[in-house]
Amino acid sequence: MTELTWLNELLAGNRIFTPQTIGYYWDGLVLTTQLVFLSLVAGLVLAIPLAIGRSSGRRWISLPIYAYTYVFRGTPLLIQLYIIYYGVVFFDGIQQTFLWPILREAFYPALIAFTLNTAAYTTEIFRGAIKATPQGEIEAAKAYGMSQGLMMRRIVLPSAFRRALPAYGNEVIFMLHASAIASVVTLMDITGAARFVYARFYAPFEAFLFAAAIYLCLTFAILYFFRYLEKRLLAHLKPQSGN
Amino acid sequence: MADTPIPLEVRNIKKRFGDTEVLKGLSLEARKGDVITLIGASGSGKSTFLRCMNLLEQPDEGDLIVHGEEIRFKHTKHGREPADWKQVVRMRARLSMVFQSFNLWSHMTLLENIIEAPIHVLGKSKKEAIEHARALLERVGLTARADAYPAQMSGGQQQRGAIARALAMDPEVMLFDEPTSALDPELVGDVLKVMRDLAEEGRTMVVVTHEMGFARDVSSQVIYLHQGLVEEAGPPQEVLVNPTSPRLKQFLAPKY
Amino acid sequence: MIDLHGYGPRLLEGAGVTLQLAVLSLIFALILGLLTASAKMSRNWLLHKVATLYTTVIRGVPDLVLMLLLFFGGQMALNVATDAIYDRFGVDWYINLNAFAAGVLTIGFIFGAYMGETFRGAFMAVEHGQIEAGKAYGMSPWLVFRRIRFPQMMRHALPGISNNWMVLLKTTALVSVIGLSDMVRVAAEASRATHEPFTFLLPVAAVYLLIASVSEWMFARLQKRYNVGFGGH
Repeated sequence: MTELTWLNELLAGNRIFTPQTIGYYWDGLVLTTQLVFLSLVAGLVLAIPLAIGRSSGRRWISLPIYAYTYVFRGTPLLIQLYIIYYGVVFFDGIQQTFLWPILREAFYPALIAFTLNTAAYTTEIFRGAIKATPQGEIEAAKAYGMSQGLMMRRIVLPSAFRRALPAYGNEVIFMLHASAIASVVTLMDITGAARFVYARFYAPFEAFLFAAAIYLCLTFAILYFFRYLEKRLLAHLKPQSGN
Repeated sequence: MADTPIPLEVRNIKKRFGDTEVLKGLSLEARKGDVITLIGASGSGKSTFLRCMNLLEQPDEGDLIVHGEEIRFKHTKHGREPADWKQVVRMRARLSMVFQSFNLWSHMTLLENIIEAPIHVLGKSKKEAIEHARALLERVGLTARADAYPAQMSGGQQQRGAIARALAMDPEVMLFDEPTSALDPELVGDVLKVMRDLAEEGRTMVVVTHEMGFARDVSSQVIYLHQGLVEEAGPPQEVLVNPTSPRLKQFLAPKY
Repeated sequence: MIDLHGYGPRLLEGAGVTLQLAVLSLIFALILGLLTASAKMSRNWLLHKVATLYTTVIRGVPDLVLMLLLFFGGQMALNVATDAIYDRFGVDWYINLNAFAAGVLTIGFIFGAYMGETFRGAFMAVEHGQIEAGKAYGMSPWLVFRRIRFPQMMRHALPGISNNWMVLLKTTALVSVIGLSDMVRVAAEASRATHEPFTFLLPVAAVYLLIASVSEWMFARLQKRYNVGFGGH
């Protein structure tokens, strides 16, 4: 523990921010990052096929997907989390399966709820971007002998991903903020750590302002990352002067 | 040359949008080296006719024969549809279209636009496609703009780039849908020059245009459409210089 | 019919709490949003900075954290203030921060920032010529605002307001965490007590969907009214 002496010195005389509580916040940061990152990746993987299906002209494909996104975007994430967290017990025989030790912990119900939630929003973001593909570019693809699959893969999706980027960046920030409710089902994420510190020291300002500062930094990091991506990937949409 | 199949043959094409019949039975035969110009007032059906040739519009009736292969159709409750979309895809790869609004893919550079279909539709190697693309870019005078995105180019540059994209397919027939109509007047000349060069080197072309000078100088055949029917057709010297139909006379009369 | 193991009436009450909370927060957020937008567009340097700080920080921090901070922190600040009053004047006040009021203030405070951005964008979208035309006909600044800028701004702002409202509605669920008996809290309690989560949580989800659908319809009608003369854009 010698490497932490500087931290001890820095915190000397501080009643609340001891190395121990800083450790809680650090563990919370790790948990928040895991939850948000994993649910975003899983949500993205789900959203791509769903968005293609949602854009389909066949109503028996697009309507059920719309029902899913409508319900998950129209109800609070907290309710979705409760339903999965309290409800998972009631699937008959689940206690006997190998899944039980995993689902018993709050982490996985939270991950499932977050994934289904962000997948619903992302599906609609991508659907909008797919719908906005210029009709002429689709005609050109057809006229050059591209099959439906090739056209989707080479023309529609790459151009839709770029168009979706700003909205998806907002969704990532939204997900980071929404993940704070993980603390409601006893998870020790950043907010969970703050609630613990508040309860222990009865110091609401210190406990929650510190958490707020961490979230603010994360938000700005995401914001700048997406701005950088947009700069690189959306350069083609900006007319150059002088041509 | 009698044993090489005719590149493009269309017979008795009919098409209706709702209650209006826009094409009332049109035929055309493009032999190798033909430059066929379709002229007519807006609403005469010339663009729709062209778009029926590569099935961007589905004709309700009529036959389509590309390189000797007849396209098969089937009847569904939505109307007539191609029976085999793989055949359509194959046929479209033999014809390449140049659009009025260029329709370059906006997320790709000009070079990427040109090599896209040769690689992914024709199955060429990337190296070969790039070599070919560079040569074509030089032809249309856009070597310096290879890495520009469409939004960064002028309309004239985009259209010349689109012509290079069409040429990269080594098409048997090139279809031009009013290629100069969306351009500023001072940019039309460059595009027309490229098209004239193509005609001179013996490309088979079907061109919908308002450029009467181009039609007169370059085409082997001019077809004047009126309300979905051929009103007059023949070599440009006859059709454009000595028109018989009063409507065509009026259409060609200088407008002040 | 809606007895639900005796939780029916409480759930219904909870739905009322949710709706009241949402509507009052919306009104507070709209007022705060207009003020924020004016401050952001103001030439006063300090006003501009304060408004920018407010919108940036609020939009960078989770709603729940802000809610916990304002609710628990607000109570503590009140206690400190009342203690000081007692020490100095000998008056013994004790103000207990009511969870409902805290909820309205917090949610309104959070969404005031979002509304501020919406209004600012909408004000800037009004063509300058429209305002000049008003001035040219001798309208006073207030008249120009009331008759020209505001109605034209609303056309641009409505989609954003509608969007913010939908998010706000769902955010009200978080007040259950700070102890307010809205329908989410009642349903969660009932789920734990009866071990029948679906019986309570699914109807509550349905109520949210219902409110969202009805308000979507209402906003579409409003939009139609404000779009008069703009050909459905």
